[in-house]
Amino acid sequence: MSAKSIFESFLAGQGYALFEYLGDGDFRLLGAWPDWCASIWGAQPNSDQRIGLGGKSPFLENFLVDAAEFWRTRSPGSVNSGNWIESGANGREIPLEASARSLDGKRILLLQNLSESFGQQQQWFQTARNSLLEHEKLLKEIQKKEILLHCIVHDLTQPLSAMNGVFNLLNRENLPAALRKYIKAGERESQRQELMIRGILEAFSSDLAAQQSRETSAAEAPDLLACAKQAIEEFSPAFRERQIGLSLGAHAGDSRGWRVVGDSSRIDRIFGNLLENAMRYAPKGSTVTIGVENHDEFVLAFVDDEGPGLPPDQRPDQLFALFSKGKAHAGKAGLGLYFCKITVERWGGAIGADTRKRGGARFWFRLPRAAQSTQNDATAASRGKSVDKEKPHTHKKAEKSLRILVAEDAELNRDLIIELLKKRGHIAIGVTDGRRALAALEEHDFDVVLLDEEMPGMTGLQTTAAIRRRELITGKHQVIIGISGHATADDEHRFREAGMDTALAKPVEVKTLYKAVESAAQNLHSTAARSQPQHTAEAAAATAPAAAPSLAAHAPADSSANSAAENEDALSHLRRTTGGNEKLIRSLAATFLADAPKALARIRGAVAKKNAAELASAAHLLKGSLAIFGAPKAVAAARNLEALGRANNLREALASLRTLESEFALLQHELRAIHSAAKPKPQSPASSRIPAKRPRQKK
Amino acid sequence: MLQKKVCMLGSFSVGKSSLVRRFVESMFDEQYHTTIGVKVDKKVVNTGGEDLTLVLWDIYGEDVFQKMRMSYLRGMHGYILVADGTRRQTLEDALALNDRVVAEIGKVPALLALNKFDLTDQWEIDPAREAQLTAAGWTVQHTSAKTGDAVEKAFLHLAQAMLAK
Repeated sequence: MSAKSIFESFLAGQGYALFEYLGDGDFRLLGAWPDWCASIWGAQPNSDQRIGLGGKSPFLENFLVDAAEFWRTRSPGSVNSGNWIESGANGREIPLEASARSLDGKRILLLQNLSESFGQQQQWFQTARNSLLEHEKLLKEIQKKEILLHCIVHDLTQPLSAMNGVFNLLNRENLPAALRKYIKAGERESQRQELMIRGILEAFSSDLAAQQSRETSAAEAPDLLACAKQAIEEFSPAFRERQIGLSLGAHAGDSRGWRVVGDSSRIDRIFGNLLENAMRYAPKGSTVTIGVENHDEFVLAFVDDEGPGLPPDQRPDQLFALFSKGKAHAGKAGLGLYFCKITVERWGGAIGADTRKRGGARFWFRLPRAAQSTQNDATAASRGKSVDKEKPHTHKKAEKSLRILVAEDAELNRDLIIELLKKRGHIAIGVTDGRRALAALEEHDFDVVLLDEEMPGMTGLQTTAAIRRRELITGKHQVIIGISGHATADDEHRFREAGMDTALAKPVEVKTLYKAVESAAQNLHSTAARSQPQHTAEAAAATAPAAAPSLAAHAPADSSANSAAENEDALSHLRRTTGGNEKLIRSLAATFLADAPKALARIRGAVAKKNAAELASAAHLLKGSLAIFGAPKAVAAARNLEALGRANNLREALASLRTLESEFALLQHELRAIHSAAKPKPQSPASSRIPAKRPRQKK
Repeated sequence: MLQKKVCMLGSFSVGKSSLVRRFVESMFDEQYHTTIGVKVDKKVVNTGGEDLTLVLWDIYGEDVFQKMRMSYLRGMHGYILVADGTRRQTLEDALALNDRVVAEIGKVPALLALNKFDLTDQWEIDPAREAQLTAAGWTVQHTSAKTGDAVEKAFLHLAQAMLAK
C-alpha cells in the first residue's frame, strides 16, 4: 500500500472525506468514500467522475460560495462552515462540518463527520441552556414572592401607621410630662418597628432589583456631595443631642462634578445608615466627618468616626452581611449595612470599612461617575426644577363670586377643587355622583357645574344628558365643565358631543381651573340674550365659551409640564397646583394618608382575586388621588392597572401593582413628612412650616 | 419546481425546530432538544394552485454561547422570526436580531410567530405590544408547535408573501 493510500485511509477512518475542487462547482473525490457519505449521498462515484457537491446539499451549496472566495483570494489557513446536520439512511442525523483550504496549489474541501464529538458538544449546550431557562424561571418566582412580601409588609405596617397616628394625637393633648414621656417612648418604638419592617422589604426585594438595569436617566443622576451635605443637615440635631460633632470633610473641586450612577433617595438612605452606625460608636465630644473624594471614574464617599474602630474578631466584609450586628452596641436588625452593600453593588459600586490609622473607623462607598452628558442634563434639569419651585401662584379674588357645583367621586380631588374655588371667592359645594348632582340642581341654582367623567352610578356624560333633557322644560342653559383623567382632543370632542360646554384635565391646576370656570360663566352671561336653550351637541359646541381653556389645549402643556416636573417632589407639585396654600396642602396630605391605603388595599385584593371590574374601579379612584400629588410613575402604574382591569387582562397586573406599591410608599414618606410638619412645636415657630426639601427616607 | 429558502430565526428554546418538525413531519416532542448547528428540511406546499418547495433552514438559537452567522442567510427569500410568548424577553431579542438581519440582507418577506400559544396562563405578551408590532408592519401569528395551531397557516402565509414579491 502506498503512503498516499495509507494517508487517505487514515483520514477516512477519522471521519473525513477529501475532495479537490475542479471549478464550475465540480469536485473530484480524493481517497475513500466513507460509509457515512454513502449513507447520505448514495453509492461511491467513479474515481474520474466529477461530483456536483453543491447540488447534493443546500447547506454545502451555500458554504461553497465562501469556499470559492477563499480559494480565489488565495487566503492563508482555512475557512470552515460551522456545524450542520444531514439526514442519512433510516433518518439517522449526521452532524458535519466542511472546511476549505489549499494544499500544494490544489483547492481542497474537507468534510468531517462530527458524530463522535457532537454528542458531547450537544450535551454541554443542552445543560447550559437548560440552566438559563431555570434561571429565568427562578427570577419569575422571585418576582411573585416579592409581591407577596410587599403585601405581608403592608399588612404588618398598617396597624403601626394607625398607632403612630394615635401617638401623634396624644402628643397634641395637654398631658403631664411623665405621661408625655411614655407616649414618646411608645411612638419611638412603633416608628422603629415600622422602619424595621420596611427594611426587611428593602433588603429582600433588592435581590430582584439587582438583576435589573442600573441605568440612570440624565435628570436623575444624583450629586454625591449634595447628598452628603443634606445628610449633615438632617443628622446634625441628633448628633448635637448626643454631643457628637458632625462636619463635612475637605473636598477638592473637580470639573467633572460629583454626579454618580444611582438614585438620590437611596443614597440618602445609605448616608443615613452609615451615620446612624457612626453615631452608635462615636464617643461624646468626638467628631464624625463625612466627605467625598475623586477616584478616577468613581466618586468615593466616606464617614469617619473617632470610636473604637472595627471589631478585631470580625472581617470588614462580614459587617455588611445580612443580619450582621456589632457585639458591643447592637444596632437594629442587622439590615442597614446589608442594604447599603446590595444597593451600592447594584449600581456597579463597592462598599467597605477600615480601622483608621489615627483611630476610629472609616465606612466608605464608591459609585461610578454618571456620564458627562448626564451631568449636564441633570444640572439643567435641576436648575429648571428650582426655578419652577420658586414660583407660587397667588389667589386673587375673582371679580364676581360664582355658585359652583362640583360632582366628583374622588374625595381628594373634590376637596382640592372646592378649596381652590373658595380661595378665589366662589361658593362651591361638592357631591359624590351624578344623581346627587341632579338632586342639588333641583334645589339650587348654580352658575357652573363641574362633572367628573367617571363616577359610580351615573357618569358625567349621563348626568350631562339628563341636565340637557331638563333644559327642554326650563329653557335655561346650564354651564357644564367636564373633568377628565384623560387629556386628548378626542376626549374633548366626546365631551362636547355629549353636551358639555368645555372640559378640564385632571389633575386640575389652579390657573386653568379659574380660567375655565370664570370664562365659561362670563361667556354665558355676555351671551345672556340666548333665547333658545341649547339641546344638541352641535349647539353645545357652538356655544362653548371661546375663551375657556380646553382639554386639547391643556394636553400638550400638561404633558410638557409633566415631563419637566418628572422629578418634582409632592410638595413642589402641591405648591404649584394649590398656589402655595400650605394649610390646604396639609389637609390633602392628611386625607391621602388616611384614605389612599384603603384604595391600594382594594387594588391588592382585586389582583389577588382576579376581579377585573374591581381592579378598574379601585385603580381609577387611586389614580385620581395620586395625580393630585404629581407622582407621575405612581399615576402611570395606577392608570395601567385601570386599563388592565377594563381589558379584563390581569396577566400584567402583578408587575404594575409592584411598581404602584413602591411609588406609593415613596409618596407616603413624603406626605408623612408634610403632615408631621403641621404638628405644633411651640419652641420653634418656624418649625410649623412645611419642610422645603424632599424628606429623606430612612430605614 | 420553484424553490424558496426560508430561515427560522430567534432565541434559543423558542420552538424553531419544533415548528419545522410540526410543519414537515406533523410531530412534536415535549422534551427540549437544543439545536447547535443548522438543519435543512424541505416541504412542498401548494399555494394559489402552484406547487412550491420551501427549503427550511432551522438555524440554532442565539444566546450568550452562540451568535448566528449572517452567511447562513445568503439567498434567503423569507424568514420566520420566532419568539416564545411565555418569555417576553425572547420577543425583544428576536426584534433586535431582526434589526441585524435587515441591516445585512435588506427587507424580505417575514412573519413573526409568537409560539407556545397553548400555554395561555403563562403568556407574557400583552395585546398592546402586539398591536404595536402589527402597526409596525409585522404579520403576527400565535402558533403552537405542540398543538399544531396556526403552524401551517404561518408557513403558507409566508409562502404567499414570497410569491407575491
